Amino acid sequence: MTPRPWLHGFLDLCLLAMLRERPDYGYGLSQRLAAAGVADIPGGTLYPALLRLEEQGLAIPDWQPSESGPRRKYYAITPAGLDVLAGQAADWQRFRDGVDALLTGVHHG
Amino acid sequence: MADWVDSLESELVRLGLQPGRARHLADETEQQAAESDSPPGEVFGPAVLYARHLVAALRVSSAPARLHAGPVMLSLAGVSKRYRRQTVLADVNLTVRGGEVAAVVGANGCGKSTLLRICAGLTRPSGGSVRRTRRVGFVPQDGGTVGGLTAEEHFTLFGAAAGMVPGRARSTGVHLASRLAWRPGARQRAQQMSGGTRQKLNLVLGELHAPDLLLLDEPYQGFDQGTYVDFWQQVFAWRDAGRAVVVVTHLLHDLQNVDHVLDLGASA
Repeated sequence: MTPRPWLHGFLDLCLLAMLRERPDYGYGLSQRLAAAGVADIPGGTLYPALLRLEEQGLAIPDWQPSESGPRRKYYAITPAGLDVLAGQAADWQRFRDGVDALLTGVHHG
Repeated sequence: MADWVDSLESELVRLGLQPGRARHLADETEQQAAESDSPPGEVFGPAVLYARHLVAALRVSSAPARLHAGPVMLSLAGVSKRYRRQTVLADVNLTVRGGEVAAVVGANGCGKSTLLRICAGLTRPSGGSVRRTRRVGFVPQDGGTVGGLTAEEHFTLFGAAAGMVPGRARSTGVHLASRLAWRPGARQRAQQMSGGTRQKLNLVLGELHAPDLLLLDEPYQGFDQGTYVDFWQQVFAWRDAGRAVVVVTHLLHDLQNVDHVLDLGASA
């Protein structure tokens, strides 16, 4: 497996989790992802993912003016988004526990 | 920057979005690039590619609620294939039901085409079991057409093999061709067709008898971009109609929408 499909699987989960904390716009989300050490995600991947969440009704956009420059598209999580987040968070937990168990005793480089 | 946004918009239209929707998405994309204060080409990559990402994101949700998976149309259990001492396939398992798409991926020479031929019953596996539904359509990577015959003669010939009367075979063939944005010329023989057109002919022939299981081997090789998109729309239309589809591909772009990915790995 290569890292790219991994990221594909986790990206929606990460985005929904960040939006649960507070509404945010694309660039802000990419910075939060990078700061969390998850990924330095290219715009060409991030913005279509946000569009996907919007189309699925998991997040709703709201244009807001910014102090510096053009207005920004802020996304807020919807109740349906919270449901999906809860389900995916449980999946993630199981997956992570499984991988952790497999990695027991492996020394990190 | 205006160039990039313009080419994004026209590519979105070319991929089938309504012009108003395309305009709207292009505007939004321009503003999103401004968020990070960078030129759009730097944030999103080439406009033509980004258009496809956006269309794929839209397609996820516009797909109707998925039907429940239907009966098993193809089942491989522990399938292996050896030629003399060389192992081409080892312990391959795959189950595909009606309403599902399976993609077979892997490097060149890893046995993808051999596997597809085993699925079709054209090659006998060295071990394991294969069960398939009776009505199978097979679209090989090349060949399968007769150089001296026109498209309509192919429809008649292949239709006859499936018990269709000539008129019905021809009208079905022409109809299926139109879904691939292709109008067969009345006098053009297969050997005069471009590679892409011959692949469309192959695809139509594989589908002519309304099979329950479609086996496709890289059928978009030689297709232009627009047709490539049409091809995947067609695959998902077959799936939504309850058919099982197996596609051998080396393009990983569309895998997020398929139900099973069988990775045969590096070359044998």
